[in-house]
Amino acid sequence: MTDALRLPAEQTHRSELDALKRTDDGPKPAGWALSPKAVLTYVMGGETPDGTEISVKYFGPTRFIETAIATLATDRALLLLGVPGTAKSWVSEHLAAAIAGDSTLVIQGTSGTDEAQIRYGWNYAQLLAHGPSKDALVPSPLFRAMETGKICRIEELTRMGSDVQDALITVLSEKMLPIPEIDGSLYASKGFNLIATANDRDKGVNDLSAALKRRFNVVALPLPETADQEVAIVAKRVAEMAVSLDLPSPKNIKTEIERVVRIFRELRNGETDDGKLALKTPSGALSTAEAIGVVIGGLSHAAYFSDGAFSAEAVSADLLGTIVKDPVRDKAVLEEYLELVLRTRPNDAPYYRALSDLV
Amino acid sequence: MATIEPSPTDLHILGVRHHGPGSARRVVKALQSISPSVVLIEAPSDVVDLAPLLVRADARPPIALLTYVEGDAERARVHPFAEFSPEYQAIKWAVAAGSEVRFIDVPAATSLALQDTNARPDAAPSAVARDPIGELARAAGYRDGESWWRDVIEEAADDSPRVFRWIGDAMTALRACAGTDPAHEQLREAYMRRAIAAARKEAAGPVAVVCGAWHAPALREGRPRSGDREILKGLPKVRTRATLAPWTSPRLALGSGYGAGVEAPAWNAHIWSQLCNADADQDATTSNARWLSKIAKALRERGYAATTDAVIEAVRLGHALAVMRDRPNPGFEELRDAAIACLCFGSEIRWREIEREVLIGDEVGRAPADAPLAPLLLDLERHQRKARLKPKAEGRELSLDLRTDSGLFRSTLLHRLRALDTPWGVLLDASGSRGTFRERWRLVWRPEMAVSLVENLVYGHTIEAAAAARLSAKMLDARSLLTLASLVRDALTAQAPKAAAVGVDRLERLAAQTSDCASMLETLPPISQIIRYGQARVVAAEPLNGLFHRLAAQAAIALPRAARDLEADAARAMWRIIVDADRAIELSAADARVRQAWRRALSDVAQTEKTTPLLAGAAARLVYESGDLDVGEIERLLSRALSPRRSRQDAAGFFEGFFTGSGARLVHDGALRRAADHWLCALDEPTLIECLPLMRRVFGGLDQVERRRLFDAVIENHSQAGEYRAADGADALWMERLPALQRLLSEGARK
Repeated sequence: MTDALRLPAEQTHRSELDALKRTDDGPKPAGWALSPKAVLTYVMGGETPDGTEISVKYFGPTRFIETAIATLATDRALLLLGVPGTAKSWVSEHLAAAIAGDSTLVIQGTSGTDEAQIRYGWNYAQLLAHGPSKDALVPSPLFRAMETGKICRIEELTRMGSDVQDALITVLSEKMLPIPEIDGSLYASKGFNLIATANDRDKGVNDLSAALKRRFNVVALPLPETADQEVAIVAKRVAEMAVSLDLPSPKNIKTEIERVVRIFRELRNGETDDGKLALKTPSGALSTAEAIGVVIGGLSHAAYFSDGAFSAEAVSADLLGTIVKDPVRDKAVLEEYLELVLRTRPNDAPYYRALSDLV
Repeated sequence: MATIEPSPTDLHILGVRHHGPGSARRVVKALQSISPSVVLIEAPSDVVDLAPLLVRADARPPIALLTYVEGDAERARVHPFAEFSPEYQAIKWAVAAGSEVRFIDVPAATSLALQDTNARPDAAPSAVARDPIGELARAAGYRDGESWWRDVIEEAADDSPRVFRWIGDAMTALRACAGTDPAHEQLREAYMRRAIAAARKEAAGPVAVVCGAWHAPALREGRPRSGDREILKGLPKVRTRATLAPWTSPRLALGSGYGAGVEAPAWNAHIWSQLCNADADQDATTSNARWLSKIAKALRERGYAATTDAVIEAVRLGHALAVMRDRPNPGFEELRDAAIACLCFGSEIRWREIEREVLIGDEVGRAPADAPLAPLLLDLERHQRKARLKPKAEGRELSLDLRTDSGLFRSTLLHRLRALDTPWGVLLDASGSRGTFRERWRLVWRPEMAVSLVENLVYGHTIEAAAAARLSAKMLDARSLLTLASLVRDALTAQAPKAAAVGVDRLERLAAQTSDCASMLETLPPISQIIRYGQARVVAAEPLNGLFHRLAAQAAIALPRAARDLEADAARAMWRIIVDADRAIELSAADARVRQAWRRALSDVAQTEKTTPLLAGAAARLVYESGDLDVGEIERLLSRALSPRRSRQDAAGFFEGFFTGSGARLVHDGALRRAADHWLCALDEPTLIECLPLMRRVFGGLDQVERRRLFDAVIENHSQAGEYRAADGADALWMERLPALQRLLSEGARK
C-alpha cells in the first residue's frame, strides 16, 4: 500500500503492461517497451492473447490514437491539441507509460517556465566550487528523457513564452542538446521522443512559431461526439464533485444538465441539434470541462441561495461568462442564439428569460 | 496462356468493378494476353455504333453514353465512363487492336420502355449487386474499394487470369448468400447470355466479356439457360436516340445521385495514373507522395502553409499507420489521417475545406465534334412546339398571364433558358412593379444560342434538368447573400424547386456566418418579393419564410451597432437599405416576434446618441410611423436630437433623416411641428442659411398648397401659444417681409 494520492499510470496499470509485454510479439521500434499495436491495445482496451483484460483508457475514435502512436513510431514529436476536457494529458500520460514505461518526465508549461526548466540548470554550489562540469548540471526532465531514451511530456506547451518554446527546436530537429558551457552536447538515445499538449482555443496562449509547428505532427482530440456521451460525462463528473463539495443534487439535475450541454454543443458546433439552423460560434472553447463548471456553479448557488432548487437563473450568470469571452462579438452571437433558437423552444423559456435579462 | 476460366477456352469472363482503376489495369493486361477477336461490353446493345466515337482522340472522358426516348429527353439513361473505367479501357484496347466491339446488355429501346411500364422500376439494384467489391471492402473496414482491391485482390492473385478467377469465385459465393435477383437483373443476364452465345458462334477467335463482377458467375457458361427464352420473349420497345454527352467528375461521384457512382473520383483517377506509370516504377511511396503533394497544393492555394518537409512526414506517417492497421500499403484512410496530422495541423475543418476538391475534382469531359444531335436541342424543339413559340430572329414582344397554364409554361421555359445562358427572351419591366401575375418578354432568337445551349449538356440532357443543375452549381459558388437570393428567385421562376432548396440551404448557412448587417438587410426585399411571387407560381414558401425571419431577427440584433460611426456616403447607402428592409418587413407576413424585434432595434437606433444622426432620424420616423412611439415620446426624442446642445450638423442630419418625404406630416402634427420649430428658431442666422438647402431637400416634395398650409400652421401656432410677442412696429415690418419670406420658403435659398 502506498500513501500517494495518485500514482503514475505505469504503476496503476502495471499488471496490464506486464501482460502485454509478455505476449507482445510484434516488431518494436528502437527503445520502445511495447510494439505499436500493443500500445494501441493498452490505450483502447481489449484482451491479451493469454486472456488478461486490458481496460479502456480512451473513449473516442481509434484512429486518433492510431495516428498518435504511428507518429511517435516515426520519431516525430506529437502535439495533442484540444479544448479542456478532451483527455489530452490523460492520453499523453498513458502513451508515455506504455511506450517508455515511464510517464513521470513532465514539464509543466506556464508563463513562468524558463529555458533552464527545459534544458538544464546549474547546481550553483558545485559550479562555484569546481567550475562548469557535467556534475554541476541539473538535468531537466527533457534532458533525462534524452539521456535514457524515454518520452518527455510537455503539458500546456502554448502557455510558455514563445522564446522558451523555441528552445525545443534544436532538440526536435537535431535530436541533440548543445551544452556550450562545458563545450559538449547531449545526444538523444534511441527511444527518446516528445509529447506535448496544448489548448488551441483558449485566450492568453502563445502561438507556436512556424518553425516549431513544423516539427510536430498534430492530433486534435475531439470533444464527445454525441450529446448523450457528453451528458453522461458531465453528469458523472458533477455527481463526483457534488459529493466531494457536499452539495445536494436536486431532482431535476439530469434535465438541466441536458439543457446546459445542448446550449454548449449547439453554440460550439455552429448548428442546432436537428441540424436545421446554422449558427455563429463564439470565440470561447465551450468545452465539456466548462459545462461541468457551469453546472457545479449552479448547484452551489442552488444549495446556498435558492433552497436547493436548481434554476436557470442560478446558472445563467456562469453560462454568460463562459459563452461571452469577447464582449462585442460573442455578445452578438449569444443574442442571435437567444432570438433564433432558445426563444422558439417553450421548454427553454426560463433560460431565454434569464439570459436575455443579463445580456 | 492456358485457361482463364473453367469454361471453354475461347470465352473469358472479366468481372470488373465499375470505375475501378485496379480492374481497368487487369482488364487491359488480360486483353493483351488473350488477344480476343471480339470484346463484349456490358452496355446497351443498340448503341454500339457510338463505341468508336467514345474513344476517338477528340473525345475526352469523363463522357457518357446517353440514350433517351425520341421526343422525350426526360426519359433517359446514362452510362458514364471515366478514363479509369474498365469498360472504357476495354473499348479503347479493342479499337486500337482492331478487334470487334459488341455491346451485349439489354437495348436501350427496351430498358427505356420497361422503365416506363414499371413506374417504380426495380432497376435500382442492391448496394452489393451494384458494387460487390466495394461492399466487400467496406465489410473489411476499408472506406475505399480500390485500396482493398490492391491490398487483397492483387495480393491474393498476382496475374490477371487468377485475379478474374478469384473474383468469379468470390461472386459465386456472394450471390449464393444474396438470394434471387430482381426480375430486371434476371432479364439483363439472360439477354447477355444470349448475346455471348451468338458472339461465340460467329467469332473467329477468343471472346472476352467485360461485365460487372456481380454478373460474372451468371455469364460464365456462355450459353442460354433454360428459361432464358421465356424471359426474353416479347420485350417492349420504344423509339430511342443516343448520343455522347460530356460528363464531369462531380457527377461521377456517389453523392451526385448517380447510382453507380464512386466515392472519390479524383482518388480513382490518381490510382489509375499511378497504375499507368507503375511499369516504370511501382513504388507506393512515390504514388503516395504524389497524392499528398496534391493535397499540399490545394492547401497552399487556400493560403495555408504546407511545406515539402511536411509532405515527407505525412508519407512516413502514412506508412507507420498502415503497419499499425496491418495493411500492406497506406491507402485512402491512412493518407487522409496522415494529411490531417502533418499538413492540416490536426484540423479536420481544414481538411474538409479541401476535401471536395481533392477527392472529387473538377474534370470536365468533351464529346466528339460529330456526336449525334444534342438532346437539349431536341428538347427545346419539343418545348417550342408545345408552347407554340417559334424561334425568330426579329424581335417581338410577348405578354404572359401567369395564371393561365400556357402563360406559366411559356414563362417557365423562357426563365429556364435564361438560367442556361440562352437569353432567347429578355424580361422587360424586370422590377416586377406591375403586379405579380404578368410578365412581358422580348423574344429574339440568334443562331449562336443553339451553340450555347448545347454547351449545357454537361449539366443535364433536358432543359429542365440542365437549368436546375446549372443554377445549383452557381449557388454553390455564390459568396454573397444578395447573389444567392437572386439565384433562388431564378430557380423558383424556372420551376426548379430542388435547386431552390439548395439555394435556400446555402443562404441559411451563409446567413449564419455573416455579421454584416447591411448585406442581411439588403437581402430582405428580394426574399419578401419571392415569397409574394409565390402567389403566381407553385412555390413552397415555408423555408423562405423561415429564412426571412432569421435574417430579419439577425439584422435586428446587428443594426444598432451597424448604424454607428458611418461617414456621409455610407450613411446614405445604409439609410436606403434600412428603409427598403423596413418596408419588406412591414409588408411581409413576418410574425409579431420578428416585427417586434425589428422595431425594438429601430428605436434603439433612434435613441442611441452614438448612432449616425441621419440614421437615427430615419429610424425614429419609421418607429413613429409604425405607431410604436406615442406623440409624447417622439416629441421628447425630437427635442433631444434637435436640442441646441447637439452640434448643428448632427441635428441637421437627424432632421433630414426624420422629415425627408414626410413634410406633409408637419401640417397635421402639432407636436412634430413644435419640435422642428424650436430647433429652427434656435438657429442663428448664418446657420439657418446653411441649413436652407437641407430644408429645400426635405420639403421639396410638398406642393404649393401644402406649403401654404404648413406656413399658416406655423404662424397660427406661434400666435396661439402666446409665446412670442411682436415687437413694436413689427406688424408693418412683417407684412412687408412676408412675400419675400414666402418666396424663400417655396423656392429655397438661391445662393
